[in-house]
Amino acid sequence: MALWDVLKRECHRLISRPLYIYCMVLGPLFCYIFFTTIMSSGMPVNMPVGLVDQDLTSTSRQIARNLDAFEQTAIVAHYPTVNDASTAMQQGKIYGFYYIPEGTSAKAQAQRRPTLSFYTNNSYLVAGSLLFKDMKMMSELASGAAARQVLYAKGATENQAIAYLQPVTIDTRLLNNPWINYSIYLNNTFVPGILMLLIFIVTVYSIGVEIKEGTAREWLKTGNRSIYLALAGKLFPQTIIFFLMGILYNVYLYGFLHFPCNSGIIPMLFATFCFVLASQCVGVVMISALPSLRLGLSFASLWGVLSFSMCGLSFPAMAMHPLLQGLSVLFPLRHYFLIYANQALNGYSMLYAWSNYMALFIFMLLPLLLASRLKKALIYYKYIP
Amino acid sequence: MKHLTFKQEVIQGIYDLFYIWKQEFRMTFRDQGVLIFFILVPLGYPLIYSFIYTNETIRDVPAVVVDHSRTSLSRKYLRMVDATPEVKIVSYCTDMEAAKLKMKEREAYGIIYIPNDFDDNIAKGQQSHINLFCDMSSLLYYRSLMTANSNVSLAMNADIKIQRSGNTTKRQDELTTYPIEYKDVTLFNPQNGFAAFLIPAVLMLIIQQTLLLGVGLSAGTSREKNRFKDLVPINRHYNGTLRIVMGKGLSYFMIYSLVAVYILGLVPHIFKFLQVGNPGTLSLFILPYLAACIFFAMTMSIFVRNRENSMPLFIFTSVPLLFLSGVSWPSSAIPEFWKYFSCLFPSTFGINGYIRINSMGASLRDVAFEYHALWIQAACYFITTCLVYRWQIIQSRRHIIAKYKEYKAKTAF
Repeated sequence: MALWDVLKRECHRLISRPLYIYCMVLGPLFCYIFFTTIMSSGMPVNMPVGLVDQDLTSTSRQIARNLDAFEQTAIVAHYPTVNDASTAMQQGKIYGFYYIPEGTSAKAQAQRRPTLSFYTNNSYLVAGSLLFKDMKMMSELASGAAARQVLYAKGATENQAIAYLQPVTIDTRLLNNPWINYSIYLNNTFVPGILMLLIFIVTVYSIGVEIKEGTAREWLKTGNRSIYLALAGKLFPQTIIFFLMGILYNVYLYGFLHFPCNSGIIPMLFATFCFVLASQCVGVVMISALPSLRLGLSFASLWGVLSFSMCGLSFPAMAMHPLLQGLSVLFPLRHYFLIYANQALNGYSMLYAWSNYMALFIFMLLPLLLASRLKKALIYYKYIP
Repeated sequence: MKHLTFKQEVIQGIYDLFYIWKQEFRMTFRDQGVLIFFILVPLGYPLIYSFIYTNETIRDVPAVVVDHSRTSLSRKYLRMVDATPEVKIVSYCTDMEAAKLKMKEREAYGIIYIPNDFDDNIAKGQQSHINLFCDMSSLLYYRSLMTANSNVSLAMNADIKIQRSGNTTKRQDELTTYPIEYKDVTLFNPQNGFAAFLIPAVLMLIIQQTLLLGVGLSAGTSREKNRFKDLVPINRHYNGTLRIVMGKGLSYFMIYSLVAVYILGLVPHIFKFLQVGNPGTLSLFILPYLAACIFFAMTMSIFVRNRENSMPLFIFTSVPLLFLSGVSWPSSAIPEFWKYFSCLFPSTFGINGYIRINSMGASLRDVAFEYHALWIQAACYFITTCLVYRWQIIQSRRHIIAKYKEYKAKTAF
């Protein structure tokens, strides 16, 4: 049977080159481990911060101690002046510093409104904005503490004082990731993203290299001269390996690391399966459109690397230029990300993500449009270095 | 073979060096594949990335409201939230179920819930709560919702306090709201922009990655072209390790000096990114970065056996390398092991040094650690490149000798 022959042929090819094992197993495996271990703390804790305390009173020391006690802030150094602290920031020793000027507590007691200030380095946005939150909170508390002293002196109870100081409070409920765990936030999309990038590359490479090495006709002949049989036989063994890698990350993330999976793992495995197939088919489209190995691979690399930005994970799609918002539909990772947010993260019904499943199905149908073009390329295309 | 004196050999070596340099230069400009990596990608990628992040930050995150208080105070609160740049109220729902539906349909990324005792509590002098529910699929949604609501609540608290205190002067009002004032200063990226934070890192990474890909491609090509599939061609000019490494390195260096000026000088200028660095400092810093990247790429090119293999081998490393640099994930939170691992790559030091010089105006002395590390890397990778090429020369000589012996054995019969 022709399909069986192509399958056997492909399995031999996959084993014969170490590059395939590197791209299909070792690469993804390395990235699974890399991304989950580098963010293993979930949230950066004890980020280095400097203190410029020119007041040197018990009040200023109290502020410093309280700031240091915040989970994400660690005061690592004291600097005599703001200039020294900002130099330390330029040297990359600290991500921010807190400045308590001379006479702060004296002014506070005399009701002369001293000013505290804090500086964060937002060139490192994650560190900067997390520290900003802590230091702002600290400043509010410092101000509140001073006012509370006055209220206590006037004879207010603790409840009265709190209600007076903060009449309106915000209770924030962070749905399904209350720890603001960056590993959960990023890895649920980055890990599949790496797999997708490598699926693009392996698909394009395995077809393109046949054209390059002049074995394309033989491949087609093994598949009874049917491009569909030939493609199916070639891609099926890869589908199995990639889906196994997909199962692996699902088990690793949801089973081993216990990331939130409110939909249960079966829908996520289904989504992964669709995602693997869609990525493979996009790979076929790439090499069909540009049947030169080098250009096909360049296309795959460009699309694969851009996916990480275009999926709208770290920078939401709705903040992008309208043109890019439209283009983002063409990236399978975008749909996978939305499906994940709908399924595993929030546990909504699959119905609300129907458009994204639809998009993945459309990706799977795309090779049909270009199959005849690919066949022509397999027969007539001459390799250009 | 005639014997050369040391002086003759040096002169010969320098002559060969420039011969190899010329050859490599010619090959680069004749090879469309290398040109794509050396010219087209460095020209295009920064533009694409700058375009993606050109809006810097997210505005008007859609939120829905469930207002059970329905008082003038709750409406004032919501008006103020709606007026912030961060949040836009898209719908008012009668109950939480309707609001949740909006979240499921991705029409909103947050719910602001005001309970019915909101105004009563304030009137009674008790604390009042507002509930904020945030979708966590993207942290920027949460951050916008959080910032807008906490800023509005702080402003409102100040107003309420002033009303209650019965002050007579403005000074008293100020003292009531903030007995200790504070100022927040976000340095070097005042708008909290995504582009200003991510693009500099991406720019530096592009230099290293395109070199890896381009040098790998050209190494793969020469392997395919050369007899015996060796990296070094059989040619009397390609006789010494040093001249090959220096000759090739020089030609890459010349091309990348121009590329670097474009990527690090022109692109930030076009897109009006923060650029406070001293150009002299920057050029001095880029020097070892380019050297380290070039020799790193030349060492790694030993793994490339075919022309196109550099892409499957190297492309996916870009994302992990960005994380290793400590830009998107603070380096203080990176585990020890990965920190040491990151020292292997020029991009780690290059990115950090560049950000500090370009975005924070650091001097060369401030980035001394990175600067020295890059020189050490350049030296180490220079040595490894020499070793790799030395090995390849020996390898190709062995192949010739083997072939020669085979030929001789054949003719002897």
